Amino acid sequence: MSSLSQNPKKTLSFSSTMKNPNYNPLKKRLASRFLKAMGRLKCKMSPFPATIEEKRRRHRAVRGAAYASMASAVGPRRAWSRALLRKMKGRKRARRNPRNVDERFGLNLNQLCDVVPGGEGMDSRSLLNETAHYIKCLVAQVQIMREILHSSSSSSTTL
Amino acid sequence: MSSRKERSSRITEDEINDLILKLHPLLPDSSSRCNTKVSATKILKETCNYLKRLHKEVDDLSERLSQLLASGNVDEDTIRALLRR
Repeated sequence: MSSLSQNPKKTLSFSSTMKNPNYNPLKKRLASRFLKAMGRLKCKMSPFPATIEEKRRRHRAVRGAAYASMASAVGPRRAWSRALLRKMKGRKRARRNPRNVDERFGLNLNQLCDVVPGGEGMDSRSLLNETAHYIKCLVAQVQIMREILHSSSSSSTTL
Repeated sequence: MSSRKERSSRITEDEINDLILKLHPLLPDSSSRCNTKVSATKILKETCNYLKRLHKEVDDLSERLSQLLASGNVDEDTIRALLRR
């Protein structure tokens, strides 16, 4: 702590980063992974895809990269990311717990199970916790993708 | 058999309600409705819809991004600038 006060330049940048409402370490991790994945995709791609099939393949690749970078950025800490990672590795679903979703909220919790990755095996409490975290990550991922699109389109118009 | 359930202490309705209420601020337009009480079932329903919408949005954005990649407008500078932020 004392080193921070001795070095005013460092303090400024550190505290300004923290106060910045856009400071979001999760988002940074998501962004860096996704951008790297995009870079790799770009290298692999042929510049002018002729066929519709190739376009579809590219679309699927980008979408896969989005979910893959989300899952790997979060890692095994969350059940939903573990489920996504398992899916990517092509492994069968983990030891499947009997569907234990509370009958009191019945239908809607079941629907939630279907939308959240890995939701089938969760109990109500975990399902709701996972949903909250999953939403946050999805929202961040969407923001990143929008920003990439926005910055590319704006840079091309300034040319 | 019954002991296992007791050990995990049957999730109470209140707990579920609390967790569901925590989901509410994550949803869009939650600020407009913060004064009125929203029912748990409604929150659950909206959460499902919101997630489906988000998935669709990821899909659409992936489509546009894949076209962008093909057209070669993504360059190193953009990427680096984004990473710096």
